[in-house]
Amino acid sequence: MISMTINGKVVKAEKGEMLLKVTRREGIDIPALCHHDAVEPFGGCRLCMVEITKADWDGWKNYVTACLYPAEDGLIIQTHSAKVNELRKGVLDLLAARCPNSPEIRELAAEYGVPQTTLEEVPDADNCIMCGLCTRVCERLGFKAISTVGRGHSKQVAPPLNEAPPDCVGCISCAQVCPTNVIPYKDINGKRTIWEKQFELIACKECGKHTITTDFADALCERRAIPRDYFDVCDDCRRKELSLKMGSIVAWSREGTS
Amino acid sequence: MNHDLSKLSAIYDRYPRKPQSLIAVLQDIQKEYNFLPCEALKQTAEELNVPLSKVFSVSTFYNAFSLVPKGEKVIRICVGTTCHIRGAKQIQEQLEDELKIKAGQTTEDLQFSLEVVACVGACAMAPVVAVNERYHGNVTVGSCKKLLKKGKKG
Ligand code: SF4
Ligand code: SF4
Ligand code: FES
Ligand code: FES
Repeated sequence: MISMTINGKVVKAEKGEMLLKVTRREGIDIPALCHHDAVEPFGGCRLCMVEITKADWDGWKNYVTACLYPAEDGLIIQTHSAKVNELRKGVLDLLAARCPNSPEIRELAAEYGVPQTTLEEVPDADNCIMCGLCTRVCERLGFKAISTVGRGHSKQVAPPLNEAPPDCVGCISCAQVCPTNVIPYKDINGKRTIWEKQFELIACKECGKHTITTDFADALCERRAIPRDYFDVCDDCRRKELSLKMGSIVAWSREGTS
Repeated sequence: MNHDLSKLSAIYDRYPRKPQSLIAVLQDIQKEYNFLPCEALKQTAEELNVPLSKVFSVSTFYNAFSLVPKGEKVIRICVGTTCHIRGAKQIQEQLEDELKIKAGQTTEDLQFSLEVVACVGACAMAPVVAVNERYHGNVTVGSCKKLLKKGKKG
């Protein structure tokens, strides 16, 4: 265990864990749009910038991304100093120009004093901030169905050849981690469409509720050696079933002892 | 579009069938076909055991690769700082007029592709226009017409 000072408060942490993890544990709100616990830190959005110094740094300060900076004994950290807020404001000004129609970005920008970008808004903006969370999460899951395409201004996230991605199983993890919610999907009548690929959704045998796609279930069964009929019922019904079973066991054991 | 993909296996045979060979293989395919046919990308993904998404990502990242057929002659106009100062813009306009295409496009007869590049490292003879591997320096609006004629002859 090491100890650091965050916004004037002494805090214990594991050496080497990332500062963002520590600040989150302390309940400090730092914007971190390209971060997700399921994947390696990326340092792409630059919003989680914090100020660090140490008692023997002679007043010298450094600005680092909290998601990528390992905790170290004696660090003195400011998460919302004037300079830090200024840095975030600069980034948000850029993001607001890139994603003028994103409520998520607009809200965050407004919070940091950018009600309106001072720059020229990108015409026909797709509101993607290029954080790469979608592609990284998909890769982490082992599907690697989508990737970034092109580079520079024209870089975007897309399925290969701009066709329905052959390796996609329709788990919608990409859509769910997207900080600006720009990956569309539709669930209609037991069918799911994402990346212009259509999937069949499994209906729970008990209550009829739709759960995951058949492709995703197949992939999970194959990799984790889960029996395929595991997905026949939804989680809720499985829990109900289990509690009934437990109930009858309890009843039976009572009968047995009385 | 159908392309003769029979030459692909010879290309794969040149390298270890590993993800690391991806760029080398794509370069050879580009050279062979003057572009990267979609089917070739799919086959490459399988042969080298690379996700198709990665193959697509790499093929769209590098300027050296093209997913649409390139002209027989690729004309690259340098628009780097020096060439810009020395009139690259006018030369670009002239060539675009002559070929009736914009930079980044290819003529319908697949004779010429027009591209812009940022500094080819020959600033001393700016403005520079390259036709395939040949570099032409001190190009003027008048002389670039000749380049096309020469280009047409082969
Ligand atoms: S829905 Fe498809 S693209 Fe998105 S994370 Fe799942 S497999 Fe990857
Ligand atoms: S689509 Fe969403 S998750 Fe993917 S890079 Fe863009 S903003 Fe990030
Ligand atoms: S969360 Fe740290 S840079 Fe994006
Ligand atoms: S700017 Fe054209 S060669 Fe350098």
